[in-house]
Amino acid sequence: MKRYRKPIQYIILALVVLIGGYAVGRSFFETKEVLKPGSEPPAFALADLQNEVHELESYKGKPLIINFWGTFCPPCRNEMPALQHEYEKWKDQGLELIGINLSEDRLAVQRFADSVGANFPILLDRNKKTEKQYGLKEYPTTYFIAPDGKIQDIVVGGPMSEEDIEIRIQRLFDASSRT
Amino acid sequence: MFQNTKCECGHQNPTGTVLCESCGKPLIEDLPLDSPLEMRYDGVARRSQKANPDLIDRVWNFFSSVKIAVWLIVITLIGAAIGTIYPQESSFINMDDAAQYYKDTYGVWGLIYQALGFSRTYESWWFVGLLVMIGTSLVICSLDRVLPLYKALSKQQIRKHLTFLTRQQTVYTSPIELDPEEWTEKLAKQLKKKRYRVHRDGDALLAEKNRFSRWGPYINHIGLIVFLLAVLARGVPAWHMDQYVTLDEGQTKQIPNTNYYVKNEKFTVDFYKDEELPDSLKGTNRAKLFETKAVLYTCTAYCDDPVKDPVLAEVDRHDIQVNSPLSYQGLKLYQYNYEPKVHLISVKPMLIDSQTGESYGPFELPMANPPLTYSVGPYTLKLSDVFPDFGMDEQNRPMTKSRDPNNPAFVFIVTGPGLPETGEFYIYFPLPTAEDKLLEQQINASFQKSGNNSGRFSFEVGKMENVEFSQYTTYLNVRVDRAMPFVWVGAGISMIGLIMGFYWQHRRIWTRIDDGVLTLGAHTNKNTYGVRSEVASALKNTGIVVDQKALDNRRNTR
Repeated sequence: MKRYRKPIQYIILALVVLIGGYAVGRSFFETKEVLKPGSEPPAFALADLQNEVHELESYKGKPLIINFWGTFCPPCRNEMPALQHEYEKWKDQGLELIGINLSEDRLAVQRFADSVGANFPILLDRNKKTEKQYGLKEYPTTYFIAPDGKIQDIVVGGPMSEEDIEIRIQRLFDASSRT
Repeated sequence: MFQNTKCECGHQNPTGTVLCESCGKPLIEDLPLDSPLEMRYDGVARRSQKANPDLIDRVWNFFSSVKIAVWLIVITLIGAAIGTIYPQESSFINMDDAAQYYKDTYGVWGLIYQALGFSRTYESWWFVGLLVMIGTSLVICSLDRVLPLYKALSKQQIRKHLTFLTRQQTVYTSPIELDPEEWTEKLAKQLKKKRYRVHRDGDALLAEKNRFSRWGPYINHIGLIVFLLAVLARGVPAWHMDQYVTLDEGQTKQIPNTNYYVKNEKFTVDFYKDEELPDSLKGTNRAKLFETKAVLYTCTAYCDDPVKDPVLAEVDRHDIQVNSPLSYQGLKLYQYNYEPKVHLISVKPMLIDSQTGESYGPFELPMANPPLTYSVGPYTLKLSDVFPDFGMDEQNRPMTKSRDPNNPAFVFIVTGPGLPETGEFYIYFPLPTAEDKLLEQQINASFQKSGNNSGRFSFEVGKMENVEFSQYTTYLNVRVDRAMPFVWVGAGISMIGLIMGFYWQHRRIWTRIDDGVLTLGAHTNKNTYGVRSEVASALKNTGIVVDQKALDNRRNTR
């Protein structure tokens, strides 16, 4: 019996460290992660209005703006032309802009996009899934994502003016030229 | 400190031994010489007591201390009590800004409470840490005591040291006239009648019963460990889930982060009639019974497809009422709440030609995901725009005010015989309110003015049976708690241990006869009255009459 005393002690203490460490460790990471500049945006694969699937992954390496919007949200509607204008201005230099619609009917989204002349890819979220992944609390929310795939800036609420957008795009390009 | 652990009987005892493992002679004298002996764990050394402890031994010894265990429990209790001062954050379904909420609701104290993290007491690192330490202490304390105790009890000496007998709580000494062997035989018979197990060594005797009750506390501890591990296991994501799904009638939704979908086919609520209610509640709507006819599906294909709709297969259905959840493979859906909220599900309107007075249709128009084209009589209706919650934006363009179908409007392009190729535009509000009907007329009139229609058509639902609507929104609580069976098993084991320890007592009686003088000592771990009356009655039947109170050794010292 005495022979086993030491090994038994080690086994029990190891189990305590393992199970206890897991339990205590979990209590530190329990809180939901909030997206902030520097964090990586959650991946998604969503269809656009032409039923083509866009994955976040495929935008890596390019400066990217993701704008969450809905036709029911006046500031979203109001900043749409500014976004479209900035997109036209910068897309030749490699800027990507995607609008993620907040789980509305395709027809309504199509109609609105046509009426404001938005021709950047507009992706259709379904059942608020992507919106929840991003933890949106207010509409619109716009993420400016640097080519390294990390969020550089988040604008919650709107509408943003063209200058607001332009400053941030400039910063995205500054970041990409540095790397 | 060096301690001589060799007893005069020649037995070598481990460090920390209180009573010699062999003869029972006291080795450590911290009590008055004539007081009853310290009989805990039969005086054996705790397993891990050592002369030169290393670091691991020190950690082990820390947890092996009952004093430490008591402190851990006291601190945990205080912490748990503090956690009940204000509601925990986890008891709120949607908590966006906890700090603000506690400040607004409970004032400065609430703010401090939240800032110190007490609003998440039971998930906090220190609380979980205390529980882990209590668990560790339970295992180590038990192990360190039960093994030596088991060894000590399974190899007991029958003939014990005289002081061991005279310093028990129940003691009797007197000269006897009978032959020692004969008298001992007589006593043995008496004790056997009382269901003692009797062991003899010449004129020395050891009688023992209900030893198993000594294992009660350790079995209780095993139960507690199972219980604690089960509670910890609830933290593993696959073992525990607790979330809420809101469903209108006719609506199907995915249970977040699972492969399950749930549909609310119909929600019904019964209210108490006035005569069933006490006077103070008469005239109020008191729900008697509410029920969700729910169907549970699993997704079999295209579950995360961004283009195609998921393919669902029904796996279970149940009429969910309070305390009667839908239960499927560990997943439970409870009725949590409901809210009266009228939503259209679908309508079947007729297309009316006001020039000829003829009507066509009806055609089915669902509010969610409506099809893009409809053929009604000779006409084709193409859906041109949808507004689930119709309103106007700042630039007076029609827009939807929200994503909920509170006030839906549909714009159709009608084409067919006698109509221009590009068709005519008509807006249709299915909700039969005067406001909406007026709005419909006004907008259609403005379409007519701008030349987009001739004002020829309108829509009408007619009978109520052509309208399908949801009256209530139901709130379901979705739970998975796979640890629950283990919690019950732990609690059961713990209860068995408690009963063993509480309702039986481990009793032992030793006798020896030295030069015609009988010495009797008896020990019980509880209920000394019981053992004294058993001893007195056994002695009486061997011819020694003694008052059972006179057996109490403690009367001299207190």
